[in-house]
Amino acid sequence: MPNVRPEMRIVYFLLALLFAGFLLLPLSVLFIRSFETSSGFDLSNYLSVLSNKEIIESIGNSFKVSSATAVITTILAFTLAYSINCTRIYQPLKRVIGTVIILPMLLPTITYGFAIMYSFGNQGLITKIIGHGFFDIYGFNGLLIGYVIYTLPASFLLINNSFKYVDKKFIIVSKLMGDGTLRSFSNTIVRPLIGTLGGAFVLSFILSFTDFGIPASVGGTYSVVSTQLYQVMLGSIPDFNHGAVIAVLMLLPAVLGVFLLYFLEKFNFQYEKITDIEWTQNKYRDTFLAMISSIFLLGMLSIFAVMFIAPFLNSFPYNLSFTFKHILNVFQSGDLVAVYKNSFVVSILTAIIGTVIAYSSAILNVRTQLKGRTAIDIVSMITNTVPGMVLGLSYLLLFNGSSLKGTFIIIILCNIVHYFTTPYLMAKNSLSKMNRSWETTGELLGDSWIKTIYRVILPNSVSTVIEMFSYYFINSMVTISGIIFLVTAQTSLVASKIKELQHFAKFNEIFVLSLLIFFTNLLIKFLCDYLQKRQVVNGKKIYRKSEAA
Amino acid sequence: MLKLQNISKQFDQKIVLENINLEINTGEIVSLLGPSGSGKTTLLNIILGLTKMDEGKIIFNGRDVSNVPMKDREFNIVFQDYALFPHLNAYENIVYGLRNKKGMDSEKELQEYIDFLELKPHLTKKIGELSGGQKQRVALARTLVTKPKILLLDEPLSALDGVIKESIKQRIQSIAKEYKLTTIIVTHDPEEALTLSDKVLIINRGNISQFGTSREIINQPSNDFVKDFILKQLQIKRQNIFNLFGEKYA
Repeated sequence: MPNVRPEMRIVYFLLALLFAGFLLLPLSVLFIRSFETSSGFDLSNYLSVLSNKEIIESIGNSFKVSSATAVITTILAFTLAYSINCTRIYQPLKRVIGTVIILPMLLPTITYGFAIMYSFGNQGLITKIIGHGFFDIYGFNGLLIGYVIYTLPASFLLINNSFKYVDKKFIIVSKLMGDGTLRSFSNTIVRPLIGTLGGAFVLSFILSFTDFGIPASVGGTYSVVSTQLYQVMLGSIPDFNHGAVIAVLMLLPAVLGVFLLYFLEKFNFQYEKITDIEWTQNKYRDTFLAMISSIFLLGMLSIFAVMFIAPFLNSFPYNLSFTFKHILNVFQSGDLVAVYKNSFVVSILTAIIGTVIAYSSAILNVRTQLKGRTAIDIVSMITNTVPGMVLGLSYLLLFNGSSLKGTFIIIILCNIVHYFTTPYLMAKNSLSKMNRSWETTGELLGDSWIKTIYRVILPNSVSTVIEMFSYYFINSMVTISGIIFLVTAQTSLVASKIKELQHFAKFNEIFVLSLLIFFTNLLIKFLCDYLQKRQVVNGKKIYRKSEAA
Repeated sequence: MLKLQNISKQFDQKIVLENINLEINTGEIVSLLGPSGSGKTTLLNIILGLTKMDEGKIIFNGRDVSNVPMKDREFNIVFQDYALFPHLNAYENIVYGLRNKKGMDSEKELQEYIDFLELKPHLTKKIGELSGGQKQRVALARTLVTKPKILLLDEPLSALDGVIKESIKQRIQSIAKEYKLTTIIVTHDPEEALTLSDKVLIINRGNISQFGTSREIINQPSNDFVKDFILKQLQIKRQNIFNLFGEKYA
């Protein structure tokens, strides 16, 4: 690894400044404000919040519905991942399952709520088709459906990825040793995955506990922590100190969860080698699992189907004649087009600047000997822990009087910090696999450190950079929890606009805007996947030929 | 001439090198031979300027370069894993450094190196398409075109097999002769060290065990370490080969 040079110190200093100003300082202010009263600092805010029946109930509700979500999501995600990894289900069907399952990631969570309402509500699409309603969707049931759809993609990706690192040969070994089906299953599949399954559970719990979009749309009178926080901060009588307390209370389970995740890491072990086996013929197993997966995915798609249908009908569900009226209205409304433009610009800038920041952080961390480089790992742990709403609120508290208030800059910075962890880890993973001597070689051949990064390191991690960009873009397109406290009339984004349109019951506009987000994200995803694949194809070609040589 | 004076190095209290004194003449091939953990790679990195020494001096052609940064020492290295850039083809790798030092090497000289290392048929190949020996030669070319004053090689033969090993060995010897280039090689293989170099420096636990020509080391091993670890290996090998071919070839 290269010796420390001044350029590295400068980059490090700038990053330190950024995270001090937009992560540590705001969070400190949040803590301080939670203890602040008219007569100094004490626990009275906490006491009054914790004696407030409504708030206590909402915390209880959050725990209840998030736990239920976590159980269901983990089981479902495991079932789907198992169907893909351990069966002989028809290959194209496996591919469809793997693709459809992650589609909800391309939509803001607030849209899920409206889709659920338009599907299962009294006049809903599915209700109409079946002929009667099932249950009251406003409240626990609606939240549960929404949260499961929301948390499933992330949990599925986690478990599916871990499946790839399980040595399947042990299934044969276990059978040869005379294990029964159950013992074999628990020893060769469940045991190696137990850490990941626990991780999926914790992740689903935290995501549901801190989400704002779903309860904002389909929560009804069933109050949860995030809607309480919103009310306290932006309701008729805003109370910043109580808001700070609720934010801290929201942060606690997330902190616990992250510790739990690190603890669960201990259960993971590495196989020396990963071998794939040919799966035994088992018609019952495959048919059963294929049916379960398909039914679930169809159910999920049917919920979102209304989003693609309703805006093209005159007045769903009463007048079902086809029309482009609503679509045209949105495009003719300067207001909505402007909001879409805002979202797009914010996301592009978040993706570009965020990728640069996460990439430079990872370079300093894995490819230099800079003192204090491990501090970046701590930063990434913190950003992984802090929910978007808490971060947004802490910005509101810190920057309320400053000129940053009501700017796009503060929204972009919030998104960059909020979603920092994943792109940072992507970059770290890719950079740590590269040859350690490249920088030294570059230097001996006359390059400066920055020049070697540009001429050698960057070209060899293009694929990762594209992936980081795509992650940042899509997430900043769909986030609502992170930005809800930071947007103003001038800096309104699609996700927050949807919240506003809800007041006026303009559901067609809501769906059209959601479709716009969806297709924009889909386009970016396709584009990034295509560019990445081109990279990988090039890489593969090299690999195959060298094996032959 | 390269002179190392009293070089010492510690990593976290652990002594890696202790009082190393050495003189290497211009154009000589010198091997640093020792078991893993003996300090030989650290010594190579200190000469290169990558690792800072705690004590001692490096004098090159009468000039003290101890505090001259790596880049300005004008030594160069070929790493054990070559560290070739995979996104560039063989030719682009070779000329990588020329862009930074314009006019350093004329097009004619560049072609000479390429011809000398027999790389012409491979220039447009991606790094992944090259065999181990070809990669080694590309890495050598990339280093040589920068006209280093001293060539450092870190385990240059360890990743190569059989016949290629012998041909690269000859290649290294002819480079040193052709360009009068002082060459310092790190290796853990006694056979490699003793057959490849003019002089061998045997290092054990951070200290010089013996420094001399191959003949001197074979005939007058200076201590038990040289006898037991270095010579014994060669004797076993010799015995095995005798057994294979029969005594008549001895």
